[in-house]
Amino acid sequence: MSNGPATSAARLERKSISLELTNICNLRCSYCMRDEDSLYHTPANFFSVDLLRDIIRSAKQPECAFDSISFTGGEVTIHPRFREIIETVRAEGWKYSFVTNGWHFDRVYPVLLDNLDALNVVAFSLDGATRESHDYWRGEGSFVRVVRALTRCYVRGIPFIIKAPIRRDTLPHLQEFALFSARMGARALHFSHLLPTSNSAEDESGLTQAERAHCEQEIAVLSNIFKMEVGVAAGYYNLNPDSPCNALSDRSANIDYHGRLSLCCNLSGYRGAAAETDVVADLTKEDFAAGYVRLRRLADEQLERRRLMLEKHALGGTRPDLHSGSPCLFCLQSFGKIPWRDGSQPSRSLPVLSATPNSPSAVFLKQESV
Amino acid sequence: MNNTVLAPPGHIVFTEFEGDEGVLVDLNSKRYYTLNETATLVWRALEKGNTKAEIVRLMTTAYDVTPERAAASIDNLLSSLQSHHLLG
Repeated sequence: MSNGPATSAARLERKSISLELTNICNLRCSYCMRDEDSLYHTPANFFSVDLLRDIIRSAKQPECAFDSISFTGGEVTIHPRFREIIETVRAEGWKYSFVTNGWHFDRVYPVLLDNLDALNVVAFSLDGATRESHDYWRGEGSFVRVVRALTRCYVRGIPFIIKAPIRRDTLPHLQEFALFSARMGARALHFSHLLPTSNSAEDESGLTQAERAHCEQEIAVLSNIFKMEVGVAAGYYNLNPDSPCNALSDRSANIDYHGRLSLCCNLSGYRGAAAETDVVADLTKEDFAAGYVRLRRLADEQLERRRLMLEKHALGGTRPDLHSGSPCLFCLQSFGKIPWRDGSQPSRSLPVLSATPNSPSAVFLKQESV
Repeated sequence: MNNTVLAPPGHIVFTEFEGDEGVLVDLNSKRYYTLNETATLVWRALEKGNTKAEIVRLMTTAYDVTPERAAASIDNLLSSLQSHHLLG
């Protein structure tokens, strides 16, 4: 039996762009890492179909060699030209995936059926394997909506996976997530550690290093039990100096809803960030291939920064703390995304509730129609 | 019996598909159940709180079937749903 974490889709075989189709979302999940001004107070921005086409044509050139795209947001299914977006990707010979909360899945379901041959996978975000636990974070009715979406996928052969967060409230329920996902017909279950947006969020919902290790071992056990792929995203504690993730190993690139090229979807538009040094190009003004050169340089610099940090600890006989040993947390620190950690800036995050099933919804769990 | 309302329980999620077919998910067992066109008609009526007598009328209106035969078919379906814990 393996003792290490099972990494989810450890490395993409394809080179994939993650692209934010919109800034807005119909749900208000208090732990969301996206900046709340963009999500709820900025006018809706919907990514241009023409710009998408230009980006794909540049990114597919041999010097870049990308061949697929994964849409994120905001909530991608809100995009009013979703069909044109998908048909553009397919016409360019690329594969697509997207992440969704499932609320508006009925809107895009016919588009998927018409473009199934270009679909890699639909990823559904799930906060709990029961109605009570999921709706606690996402609002009443969310769980039934996502179950209906999973049903449509299962019956019509649309490949889908489940993405589940690792938090203090979900930690005792990892097996429930796996059982639910397998029973519903998911191809995979990908867990990911909380990306903290405030000290209070980290204290209330984040796990200690010891708890993380226990959790990752449990996920490794589940990955051996289930036929379905079960894994954890790249942010787990990892002292291997080699590239720990797709963003740093030239397997992915991120484009935000403004059309700006940046290193990683986990850094982009981060709630409470003090800097945007992970942004390397404005693709409304510059070709993807030109910006990509700077992106690779930035990734190499970050890899070197991480390697030196690990080497310093090794020479000193010390063990990196969680925020250095976790590649995602290390990048969040390096790129000025969590300035509240050293007290240099106050947190702008919403408070995170302790999740208790059947608790009444707080104001920021309210549903909003778009 | 004819005026009894059999409400679908809260742990069942119904999804309607094109072609008037439906699928039930039992959130307790996490199992899918497929409903054919007539079973979907019955389920939709149950969700609306229709009585068995009303469902018989719906079925005889929608299909060329006698009330007696419709009632027997509905009884069979309801028994099957109950045996799978899909109906209280």
